[in-house]
This record gives sequence, C-alpha cells and structure tokens, in this order.
Amino acid sequence: MDTQNKNIIEHLTDWITWPRIIFALTLTFFLTSILFPFYWMVSSSFKTRAEIAGREPVYIPGALRLDAYKELFDPIHPSYQDFITNILNTIKISIPTALIAVILATFGAYAIARLRFRGKSFMLNGILMVYLFPGVLLIIPLFAMLAQIGERIGFDVQDNLGVLIFTYLAQTLPVALYMLTNYFRTIPDEIEQAGLIDGCSRLEVIWRITLPLAIPALVSVSIYTFMIAWNEFLYALVFLNDHSMFTMPIKINTIFNDPSPRPNVVMAASTIMTIPVVTLFLALERFLEEGLTAGGVKG
Amino acid sequence: MTVPTKAMGRRWNSVEAREARLAWMLISPTALITLGLVIFPAIFSVWVSFHDVGLHNLNDVFRAPFVGLDNYRKVFEDFAFKFQGMQSWGAAVTSIVYSFASTILTIIVGLIAALLLNRPFRARGLTRAIFLFPYVAPIVSIAFVWRWILDPRPSGVVNDILMRLNLIDLPQAYLATRGLALVLVIIFEAWRYFPFAMLMILARLQAVDNNMYEAADVDGANTWQKFINITIPELRYVLGAIFLLRLLWTFNKFDDIFLLTGGGFGTKVLPVLTYEFSFRLYDFGRGSATAMILLIIVIIFMGIYVSTVMKGTGK
Repeated sequence: MDTQNKNIIEHLTDWITWPRIIFALTLTFFLTSILFPFYWMVSSSFKTRAEIAGREPVYIPGALRLDAYKELFDPIHPSYQDFITNILNTIKISIPTALIAVILATFGAYAIARLRFRGKSFMLNGILMVYLFPGVLLIIPLFAMLAQIGERIGFDVQDNLGVLIFTYLAQTLPVALYMLTNYFRTIPDEIEQAGLIDGCSRLEVIWRITLPLAIPALVSVSIYTFMIAWNEFLYALVFLNDHSMFTMPIKINTIFNDPSPRPNVVMAASTIMTIPVVTLFLALERFLEEGLTAGGVKG
Repeated sequence: MTVPTKAMGRRWNSVEAREARLAWMLISPTALITLGLVIFPAIFSVWVSFHDVGLHNLNDVFRAPFVGLDNYRKVFEDFAFKFQGMQSWGAAVTSIVYSFASTILTIIVGLIAALLLNRPFRARGLTRAIFLFPYVAPIVSIAFVWRWILDPRPSGVVNDILMRLNLIDLPQAYLATRGLALVLVIIFEAWRYFPFAMLMILARLQAVDNNMYEAADVDGANTWQKFINITIPELRYVLGAIFLLRLLWTFNKFDDIFLLTGGGFGTKVLPVLTYEFSFRLYDFGRGSATAMILLIIVIIFMGIYVSTVMKGTGK
C-alpha cells in the first residue's frame, strides 16, 4: 500500500506492534510499582489521623495537613517526638564516618594501587573479607570487646555516638578502600612518573596530582559512606538505648512499634529520612552509578 | 658481619624500600581498624561460641566458663532453628529458601529491567534513574512503606484494592500469614535489589558486539532465538557474579526481615535468630554459635560455587 494513502488509524495500527505493546506494559508495570510506594510515603505523611485510620485509604489527601510533622517537630504537640534531635544525631554520626573513612581509605587505596610492598594482596583480601561476614556475627564480639575496653579506660559503650562512628568505620572502610583502589588504578601511572621526574616527592605527587584527579571518586565514595551511616540500623539498634541518642532509623522503628499506630507520623519521618538521600543521588547520579555495583550500597 | 649490614643499609635506603615503608604507613590505619574491628572480632566470636557468655559476665568476658559444644547443641535443639516438617521450617531451611528464591527472582527482574532499558526510547535517562530508587532509598523507610501498603486494617492499600475487586471479603494481615509472609518478603527483596542486577547486566549488554545480532538477523533468527543464543551466553559470567554476591548478602541480611515481619510467621532467618539469642535472651554464646553456623553455610556455598560454576566457566 502506498504510504500517502494511509489515514491516521492505519498509521497507528502500523505503529502498534506486539513488541511495542509488551514493552509499554512492562515499563508501566515497573514504573508504577516503583513510584507508587514513594508517592504513598509522601502523601501519607500529609494526612490526618482520621484520614489514615478510615474505612478505606485516602488516595489523594484533601489538603497538605501538617499534623504528622507537628508531632515530630512541634514541642507543644501532646505526643511530641523531638525528631530534630534524631536528625542531628544521624548527621553527627554520618558526616564524621564519611570523612574519616574517605581520608583513611584514600591513603590505603593509594598504597595498594600504586606502591609495591610485601603482603599487599594478603592485606587487600583480608580487608575485603568483611564483605563475607554478616553484621550480626561481628556485633556480639564487638559489643563484648568495646564493653571491656570501655570499662578499662572509662567510656560507655551504649548511647555513645563516638563508639557508633568507630563501629561504622568497620563497615565503610573496606567499601571505600575497594572503590578508591579501583579508581586510582584508572589514573595513568605516567602522569605521576612525570611528577616524580620533575623532582616532586611521593607525598607531593599524591597531594598535587593524584588527589585533584580523584575528586569525582572522592565525592562519590564520601556520599556512599555517608549513606551507609545514614541508613545503618542494626548497630544503632544494639548500641543505643536512650531516646535522646537515637538515630533516625531507630526512632522511626520506635514510632512504628508504638501501641497506638500512627502511620502518618512514620511516613513523615521516613519522608524526611529519604529525601536527602534520593536528592543527593539524583543530583550526582552520573558520578554515583558506577559505585552502586561496587558495593556502594552495602546489601 | 659487615657485609649483611651494608646490604641491609642499601636495601633500607633504596627506592623500593622507601616506597614499601610509605605504603605501610599509608595503609596501617585502615589495616589496624579492620584488624581490630573485623578480623579480631570474627576470631573472638568463634571463642565466644564455645563459652557461656551472658549479660552477667560481659564485663569479665575472658573468664567465662568453657562449655564445649553446648551452645551449638542448644541451637540445633531449638524449635526456632530445626526443621520440623513443612509447617515449621526452622531458621536454617527458611534462610536457604529465602536467599535462593530472593536471589533468583532479583536476577530475573533485573534482567527484564535491563532489557527494557537497553533499547532507546524517550526519557530513558530519567527512567533509569527512577529504576534505581528502591535500591538507594533507606531500608527503614522502604520497609515501613510496604508494611503500610500491606496494612491489615481496611485502610491498607492492598486490602482496599482486593476488596474492591471482590477477591477477598475481609481485610487480611498479609505479613502475619505463615507462608504468604515469606513469599512477600522474597518479592520485597526482588523489588528492592533488582537495580543492582540491572546495572551490572546493562553494563555487560552494552559491551556485546552488535555484529553478532546482525549476523543472526542475516541468518533469519527471531528475537527469542537471539536472546537465548547470543544475549544469555554473553551474560553468563556477569549473571554468575550477581548470583554469588546477592546470595551472600541476602543470606547475611538482618534489616529487611526484622523490619518487615520481625522474624515472625515463618520468616525467621538465621541473622534474626542470632539477634534474638544475643539481644533478647542475652545469651551471647548461643548467639555466636548461630552466627558461626550461618558463616559455615556461607563458606560451603562459596566452596560449591567456586569449585563448580567458576571451574565450569574456565575463568
């Protein structure tokens, strides 16, 4: 048939083929099942208690009601949760964890990627063994060990954010080391050799040449380590007892398990916890995607 | 005696020696922290599993009484651990079923997602970013959203939809139904972790030589034949790697099940059981023994994998 003589319906039936229909349906299925939970989290956080506990779900909130957020942040609310303290605790833990892990891992990763020394592969494999050990396996001896040390030199194991940062290093350092080592290996050795020939010392070469080149990797690794600390649940659950020391995940768990269920408050707190992570990710997606497959999000 | 000293001195000052010293200096903080916080605790945990350690003697843990295999015996005899027929699988069998099923489903969903994103269409970049959401978002938020969607009250979304479709008459407690809870947890794992599989598969797909598909076209192969005879063989190594990593991580995972079901209704896996022994009953010895059993199963998997799959692929 001549193309000129086709009407719009015929064009459409030509365009709609089985592969296209299957493609569109699968894509719609994926997008709905991914986006609906996120929509449900944000929209539920703006519902009142009446809307949340009604006979049927309210799919579109009538108005943006801040009841749930008031419970989290407003001191005059009858069941005020003081969530701002939990947010600050989480920040106080995640930022130092990210900084310390990235700084220490940068040193280590440089040594593994560039310098020759005996026992290198043994050490790298030893450090990467962490990927194998379940978190629950390590938490018992860590708890007992740190309790002993704390007893001797006088600090509390429980409700001590410093101790928690220390244990988070065990989870973040290997990941950071692995990712940075891979990155340093991609920087051509010739650039550094040129620097060495020009009379720079090794440390000067690292500081003036390698680190500036590695900035994208350093940024993405610090975001990953930050996210691991931000999301961490098990260690915080075991090491924190006092509500004023809780990080966000533990606090959300506590609100959820409250005898009077208030899903809108849980969703409001979850929204607050999720938004920074997803925003950071979307903003820096191009840098971050590679790390996702290298264990950046552990689990 | 002078000759060795001279040689030593030369070696001490050589470029290689200086580099090695710098390397040790640079890596020692990481190595010490890993040694102190991972390697030593891992070994210490073996010790704990053979001793009676509880809250009462935690401050004097090194003098805890040796109990031999008592902790292991207690774990094996525990009703939460041992297999007692199809009604009550026990944590070991549940763990194995849960991790294998989750891993396989994750790979299937990830493969479908990767094939979707491998063909050009408008807004592909945005779609790809959205597909990564479940993996990037915090587990606590994600788990509680799903619990709220599956809420047993009539205000739960799933209850509402199924009641409107007249598939059920009364609201159901999905995550509190033995059997169904495990299935839902497995689906949740696939929903959350498919992006990991998707990214790895996508990266590999983009490296497949297009000439092969063109040659197949010339030979008159259809889409399905091309998928089976070109795509799958090309993806073999990457699928193997994803399988091993995800299986390991799922097996070791505590948060997901603890947050979704609390380990109840036939979803008690070994990490949750370890947590309960240690931090609900405060029997650290029994907790460590459970964790050791978990680790041994992981090592057996690794061994089987390395000796069969990796050997078979010849790489």
